[in-house]
Amino acid sequence: MRVLPSLTLNQRLGVLALALGALAVFANVAPGHTIKLNARELLISVDRKEDHVTPAELAAWIIEGRNDYRLVDIRDEKAFADYHIPTAENIPLATVLDGALARTDKIVLYGDGAVHAAQAWMVLKGRGYTRVYTLLEGLDAWKDEVLFPVLPQSPTPEQEAAFERSVQVAKFFGGQPRAATAPGGPPMVMPTQAAAPVVAPPTLPAGAVPGPRKKREGC
Amino acid sequence: MASVTHDVVPEAAAERAPAAQPYTNPYLAGIGLGLVLLAAFVLVGRGLGASGAFNSSIAWLVSLVAPGYARSNAFLAGYLEGGTHPLKAWLVFEVAGAFVGALLSGLLAGRVALAVEKGPRVSVAARLVLAFVGGSLMAVGAALARGCTSGQALTGGSLLNLGSWVFMMCVFGGAYAVAFFVRRQWR
Amino acid sequence: MSAPFYKLGAFGDEANLIVAFFIGIGFGFFLERAGFGSAKKLVSQFYLNDLAVFKVMFTAIVTAMLGVTYLSWVGFLDLSLVYLVPTYWIPQVVGGLVLGVGFVVGGYCPGTSVAATATGRLDGLVFVLGFAAGTLGFALAFPLVAGLYTAGDLGTKTLPQVLGIPYGALVFGVVLMAVGGFVGATWLEKKMAPKAAPATATE
Repeated sequence: MRVLPSLTLNQRLGVLALALGALAVFANVAPGHTIKLNARELLISVDRKEDHVTPAELAAWIIEGRNDYRLVDIRDEKAFADYHIPTAENIPLATVLDGALARTDKIVLYGDGAVHAAQAWMVLKGRGYTRVYTLLEGLDAWKDEVLFPVLPQSPTPEQEAAFERSVQVAKFFGGQPRAATAPGGPPMVMPTQAAAPVVAPPTLPAGAVPGPRKKREGC
Repeated sequence: MASVTHDVVPEAAAERAPAAQPYTNPYLAGIGLGLVLLAAFVLVGRGLGASGAFNSSIAWLVSLVAPGYARSNAFLAGYLEGGTHPLKAWLVFEVAGAFVGALLSGLLAGRVALAVEKGPRVSVAARLVLAFVGGSLMAVGAALARGCTSGQALTGGSLLNLGSWVFMMCVFGGAYAVAFFVRRQWR
Repeated sequence: MSAPFYKLGAFGDEANLIVAFFIGIGFGFFLERAGFGSAKKLVSQFYLNDLAVFKVMFTAIVTAMLGVTYLSWVGFLDLSLVYLVPTYWIPQVVGGLVLGVGFVVGGYCPGTSVAATATGRLDGLVFVLGFAAGTLGFALAFPLVAGLYTAGDLGTKTLPQVLGIPYGALVFGVVLMAVGGFVGATWLEKKMAPKAAPATATE
């Protein structure tokens, strides 16, 4: 005859806890590695050019000193050390989901060209990141448009004015303008990091420690 | 201070308040607390806390009196940046709610009374001084540890956070180590 | 994965503050329910005759921990989005010890002091003021303690990561420890109770 001894409330709670605890041994709590993409939404967003920022826009943000976004260089450490856009952080492509980036951050991704950043963009979108953008055509475009702007042959007055502005921007970032040359012209020298403009993070007062993230979540 | 169920309406209030109800079964209260914590995890992705609300409030007060200093103080500046008012912080609202919730529970149980919790061998004045001292010590401890018993121990404990468990053990250790020396206040 | 709702964009910052308020209500409510608005009950833990603090705290931890485990397991909760305070073990050890001392001297912790103040305890209010003063003092002295404050930075670490034990197994371990602790606590309370006390009605 099976007799369940009459347990007090507390004893029942204890048994319940032990049962749930024992079952929990089999739990798998790590988030999966699949992503969910709303394909339509994705394509529309690309179509509307809501997936990227242009080098000119990014240059302007950096000059203005905006810090409401994170600029992420997805190349490897060596490439990053050779040259990176000022204010960028290095998060190599394979580690982009490892936790450095929060889902609510505004993020601009760039690589050498367009492809890798776009791949990272898609993965982040698929994991629910809402404010991710790529730098249109990556470092290649950064070099062409920001660092080494080209004055077209026979420029119109508007083009001349625009070029003047680009020259200022180029100087800011340690680059230099070039005239439109035939293919095979003088090679462009990348500004070294030392020559890169000082867009240092705001200096901390003496005795200060790096502050916490903006959205405080501690206790 | 004997049994678990009937206890501890402070002597001063005993004459005024109607007989207070015994406290809830601690395990049931704990389950309730745990579910509230779980709700915080599920709704907002963070846990409970209290000391952070004090940090925000102090940061705000200092910023009223000496805004330049407040912004340059590395500890306070963290609560003042980001453009939002320091009192529009999650923990400030949570602690405000805690006040209301405790009042509600106290009213339901007849345990709201103007009183001073203390043992028979110490004066009210001494108790209040010790409460102040204890509070300030706690504040230092909580600031160093990035949290207090609700934030670090409860929240971090349930998330198996390393620092939280270490912290929790030290809290119990520190309290037990000193309890003997301050027993006069309580017994 | 649907949760945490706020971090997945279900509601905005303003609503988040309202949610905070209501969660706080629950928090304060159960603290007072457990009797934690009373310093005498709280410190009884450290004189070993009323271990409610241990029971409530660890029941809450176990409840939330099991909840988190199961909700993650079924894919409802994305655990990686739940905030974990980073581990700075040195200030956390020092802070923990200091906090423990403050607990038994002051009679409250910050959360319970708010509960105590709400139910009219003057010493709770004074504790709150002391806590505010201590916070201010810490802020003013911060340049001196900044080194201690950031010592022992281990980053965000969980026990499963550090001990190399699978998450679920560790959860079970904590449950075992807690239930064992509850049994031990009840035994200890009976032992420490004066002989004339009525038998406790909770077990």
